[in-house]
Amino acid sequence: MLVLTRKLGESITIDDNIKIRVEKIRGKQVRLGIEAPKETRIYREEVYNAIKEQNEESSQTNPDLARAAAKLLKTEKK
Amino acid sequence: MRVKTSRFGEVELSQDDILEFSEGLLGFGQLRRFIVLDDPNDEIFAWLQSCENPDIAFPILEPELFAGSYAIEIPRSDLEALHLDAQKDGRLFNIITIPKDPTQMTANMKAPILINVKKRLARQCVLQDNSLQIREPIFIKLQQRVVQNPETRFKPDAVAIGAVPVKRAPEAEM
Repeated sequence: MLVLTRKLGESITIDDNIKIRVEKIRGKQVRLGIEAPKETRIYREEVYNAIKEQNEESSQTNPDLARAAAKLLKTEKK
Repeated sequence: MRVKTSRFGEVELSQDDILEFSEGLLGFGQLRRFIVLDDPNDEIFAWLQSCENPDIAFPILEPELFAGSYAIEIPRSDLEALHLDAQKDGRLFNIITIPKDPTQMTANMKAPILINVKKRLARQCVLQDNSLQIREPIFIKLQQRVVQNPETRFKPDAVAIGAVPVKRAPEAEM
């Protein structure tokens, strides 16, 4: 991994069209400003991973389980 | 044409039934072509089936079934990618996770699927709103809705959405 040191207000550029700037530093938090083409998909990593994990789990659903769940949903709560 | 699926056997469909996810789904970026399947053995869930990997299929639901107040704003860039003028022109679905205990089922509210039904374009849109849960428990709300409306059809109209019926599996009869 490439590691760069930047000061407040300094940036890095990636290719010709992505720019990431250190906007604010407060304690352990860094606020980044990102300029990128609108089709670039940018996510907080933990959000990306959680969605990916949910997608992976859902993609393995057994149809019998869905059918059983559908039947259970039609049953009045006792 | 025919598409092989591990859950529903071979499915007969036309080219127009295929939805193109130009960027795939998160974690499945290489899979671009999906179809919505209608399982006659199941009255609630529709399936988003990959045309390229028979093993990959997601149960999906329309949010109005369990989240009446799902007021979200789809980013402009997502609408543009789908060639939609407005969010209301698309059909919205949430990916559902059904664990062994179905009462613990959840919906991904943070990253819904938006479909341009006419143009057959679709996309998983990641929303910025941090109050939206990736695993929102939905069983109780969904059950209330289903039990209170016994005559309602809950699955999307197959013709309206371009869903492909799968054959009724006799062994799955319940």
